[in-house]
Amino acid sequence: MFFATDFKAKMITVVLVLGLVGLCSVRAMGGPQSSAAQANPAQDTWRKEFNEVCSKTQAAMTFSQEELTDLILRCDALLPQIEKLDESQKKVYMGRLRMCRGLYAYVLDAKRNEKK
Amino acid sequence: MNQRIFIAAALILVFWGPALSQTGVKKKRPLPYEYGRVIIDNYSDKADLAPVVFEHWIHRSMFTCRVCHVDIGFAMKAGATGITAADNARGYYCGTCHNGKRVVDGKTVFQSSCSKKVTAEDAKRCQRCHSYGLKVASDFDFFQFSQPLPKERFGNGLDWEKSEELGLIKPASFLEGVSTSKGNAFVVQKDFALDPKVEGMPDIIFSHKKHTVWNGCELCHPDIFMGVKRGTVKYSMVDISLGKSCGACHTTVAFPLTDCQRCHSKPVQP
Repeated sequence: MFFATDFKAKMITVVLVLGLVGLCSVRAMGGPQSSAAQANPAQDTWRKEFNEVCSKTQAAMTFSQEELTDLILRCDALLPQIEKLDESQKKVYMGRLRMCRGLYAYVLDAKRNEKK
Repeated sequence: MNQRIFIAAALILVFWGPALSQTGVKKKRPLPYEYGRVIIDNYSDKADLAPVVFEHWIHRSMFTCRVCHVDIGFAMKAGATGITAADNARGYYCGTCHNGKRVVDGKTVFQSSCSKKVTAEDAKRCQRCHSYGLKVASDFDFFQFSQPLPKERFGNGLDWEKSEELGLIKPASFLEGVSTSKGNAFVVQKDFALDPKVEGMPDIIFSHKKHTVWNGCELCHPDIFMGVKRGTVKYSMVDISLGKSCGACHTTVAFPLTDCQRCHSKPVQP
């Protein structure tokens, strides 16, 4: 009887300790978050960069050749991230990125042509 | 026998000849409310739905071209976007606004996603767009809408530019959560004249300012106008009428090529 009670208490302690260790390690590793929270940081990063880069098209004419080159490179860097998106999102943003990059490249070409 | 064949051939020629000669030659001029209409049938037929009838005039009265063709991502050629029901359901293309949530002009825009399993109530909603060949009453009446607007001779019979100037329409240039930039301050070149090929034809005055207000820059460059140096690319009326360069919009939605004076607007120098 005593043996059984002692064994039970030990088992409960082990389970509690294992649970605590598990909980701590999970938190230390960044923990499982809600799917929305998991999806948002990555999405926010590329969307933020996309908005930042492609919101400048209306002022493309005012940029220097260096600035335009930098914007084109930033567009190119966005491409692999957009390629990973779901089908619909990819279709929309690939098109938007193509137009945005295309304009910067076009204005850059025009500026190079002006100098000749 | 030979006489019979001869009579039959003659009859065919008399009755079918004129009918065949018309095929593909005469193009019916669209009525004002039909101008700009796009029939979209990429997948509708396969889904047992009528093709979509898209009315440009309704949408252009509320949004600039840029909002739909740059920010939302609709292609400039009819059917080229390849919109699917899944795209709409995920909140893209038509589903960007037609999601049952977005409010435009104080009205909640009806939801667009339509699947094969639909209730009778759903079917009514689906038919608001999938209406080709069906008699579907629209919430929008062109004649009522166009009544207070300044008139023009061709296309929709309306002067859209003046309508905006007078504040009779207010096309939004920004869509929350979709558009990247709120600004309308486009930095563009000054208006310039283009020499027409035909002698005596007035010069074309091209205004970048007028075009960027609704289109932005990337809608035209480089996809539609790719030449970087003025004068290097030659534009012909034949190409334009085939939908190239200016014809991308001015044969479909914007005032048509028959309205010569609106582009050939600079008087001939004596």
